[in-house]
Amino acid sequence: MNLSYRIYYVFLRNMVSYKRFVVPTFLVSLVEPLFYLITFGIGMGAYMGYFGGKPYLYFLVPGVLVSSVMMSSTFECLYGTFVKMVHEKLYDSLIATPVSAEDAVAGDIAWGAFRGLVSGSLMMLVAVIMGIIPVSIPSLLLLLVLMVFIGVLFASLAMIVTSVSPSFDFFNYYTELIITPMLFFSGVFFPLDKFPAWMQKLSEFMPLTHAVKISRAVFSGEYQAKYIWNFLIIFVLEIVAFVVGIRMMKKRLIK
Amino acid sequence: MGAFITAKDLTKKYGDLTAVDRISFEIQEGECFGFLGPNGAGKTSTVRMIHCVSPVTSGTLTVKGMPAHIDNRAVKMMTGVIPQEITLDNDLTVTENLAIFAKFFDIPGREAKKRIAELLKFVELEAKRSSKIDELSTGMKRRLLVARALLNQPKLIIADEPTTGLDPQARHLIWQRLRQLKAQGTTLILTTQYMEEAQQLCDRIVIMHQGKILREGLPPKLVEEEIGREVIEIRINKDEDERLIGRLAPFACGHERVGDTLYFYCRDGHDILKKLVELDLPNTWTRPASLEDVFLKLTGRGLIE
Repeated sequence: MNLSYRIYYVFLRNMVSYKRFVVPTFLVSLVEPLFYLITFGIGMGAYMGYFGGKPYLYFLVPGVLVSSVMMSSTFECLYGTFVKMVHEKLYDSLIATPVSAEDAVAGDIAWGAFRGLVSGSLMMLVAVIMGIIPVSIPSLLLLLVLMVFIGVLFASLAMIVTSVSPSFDFFNYYTELIITPMLFFSGVFFPLDKFPAWMQKLSEFMPLTHAVKISRAVFSGEYQAKYIWNFLIIFVLEIVAFVVGIRMMKKRLIK
Repeated sequence: MGAFITAKDLTKKYGDLTAVDRISFEIQEGECFGFLGPNGAGKTSTVRMIHCVSPVTSGTLTVKGMPAHIDNRAVKMMTGVIPQEITLDNDLTVTENLAIFAKFFDIPGREAKKRIAELLKFVELEAKRSSKIDELSTGMKRRLLVARALLNQPKLIIADEPTTGLDPQARHLIWQRLRQLKAQGTTLILTTQYMEEAQQLCDRIVIMHQGKILREGLPPKLVEEEIGREVIEIRINKDEDERLIGRLAPFACGHERVGDTLYFYCRDGHDILKKLVELDLPNTWTRPASLEDVFLKLTGRGLIE
C-alpha cells in the first residue's frame, strides 16, 4: 500500500470540480430520502401509531440518515469513479505524477465518503426542521462520525464493484441486487422482529443493518455495550473493503 | 558519465502478448531520443515503463541511476509527460487544470501561480485561461498538455505522439516549444510515427517494430545507410518491370515494386538519371531519400536487393 498525504490532493481535485455540480447534487441527494420521509414517515406513519412511545418518524429518521449516506457514497464511487477512470482517463494522468494509484483511489473513497456525509447531513437538517431532533448535541456529533465510517465502508465496497466493471450496465447488478434489497432488509423502515428467523439471520450479514441499529441508538441516546459489536462488524468490513478495493483498482489501473 | 536512462533486455508482456521484446538502449542527458514505429510497435509501452506507470516484466531499466518502478515517486517528480491521449480534466477550467496538477507535484500556491502564468504564455493560451476544456480546439488541448507537463520543471520530458491530429500551425508551435526546452538542457523522449517530426526534433532515433529495435542511429545516417541518397519513382505498368530493371538496376543499389510504382534507390543518382533521360519515360520523379523510406523499408515491406 503506497499511500501518502497526496490523498488530500485527489480529494481537493474533486472538491474543485464539485463547485459546478453542487446545486444539482444537493437536490438529488435530498430528494430521495425526503421522499422516504414524506411517504413512509408522514403518509404511512399516520397509520403506524407510536413505536416504543415515540412517533414513527423517530424510528424512521435514523435509518434514512444512514441509508442516504450509503446511497450517495455508493453512487459516487460507482458512476463518478467510473467516468473519471474510463471516460475521462483522469487516473491515467494522476498516476503519471507523484500521486500513486493507491493515493488516487483512496482519495476517491474519501470523496465518496464525504459525499455521503453531505447527504446525511442535509437529511439531518431536514429532519431537524421537521422537528425530529437527536437527543443531544454529542449524539448529533456522534451521528456525523458514524456517517463518515459508513461512507468509507460503502465507498470502498463500490470501488470493488467499479474495479471489475466493464461498463455502466454492470452497476445495475450491484445496485438492484445488493443495495436496494439491503435498504428493505436492514430495518430502515420497520423492525425486523416479525421476519422469520432465517431472514433475520440474513439481515445480520448486511452492513446496513448494523449501521441502522447504531444510528437509532445514538439518535435517541440509548447507548448499550452490544452496539460495540455492531460497530466492530462495520469497522472490520470497512478495513477489508478499503484494502481490497484499492488493490483491485490498482490492478485495473496499472498494466 | 553514465547514461541518463539505461535499458537492458527490457521486456513488457501483457498476458501472452509481448509488447516489448528484450530491447536495450541508452539515452544521454540533454539528448532528444526518438522511438519510431508503426502502431503496436511497442513505443508507448516502452516510454510508459520509463516514466514508471507500467511495471517492467523483465530486464532492467534505470532512470538517473534509479530503477524504474511503479512506486518510484522520485522519477515521477522530475518527469513531465505529454500523453498520447488527451487526459485533461473536463470538469475544470484551463487554469484549474494546471493548478491542481501543480498540487500533485507539491508546488506551493504562489510559485504555482507564477509558473501557470508563464506556461500559459509559453503555449499561447493566455486568452483561454478561464475556459472550460470542451471549449478548446484539439490544438489548444494539446498545447495545454504541454504546459501541464512542464509545471514541475521536469528534467525529463516524455512526449508520446504529441502532435497527433494537429494542423501544421499547431504542430510547428509544439515542435518549437520542444526544441526550446531541449536547448535549455532538458532530456526529451519522443515517440512518433511522423518522420518529419523525428527529423525536426531528434538527435538519435530507434526504429521499433513488433516489440524489437530494428535500427538505431542519427536520422541522416540511417537514411544514407539503409536507402542511399536519392529515390527514383517511376509510375509504370508492371509489364515493363523486366525491361526497366535490366537497364537501370546496374546503376542503383536497390529496387522495389509497390503497387503502381517502381522504385530505384541510389547512392549517387547521376548515372541513373542520364539513363532515364535516354529512356524518355513519362511519370518519373527523383527526390532525396528520407527517413520515411527507411521506415517503410524496415517496418512495412521488404526491399528486393
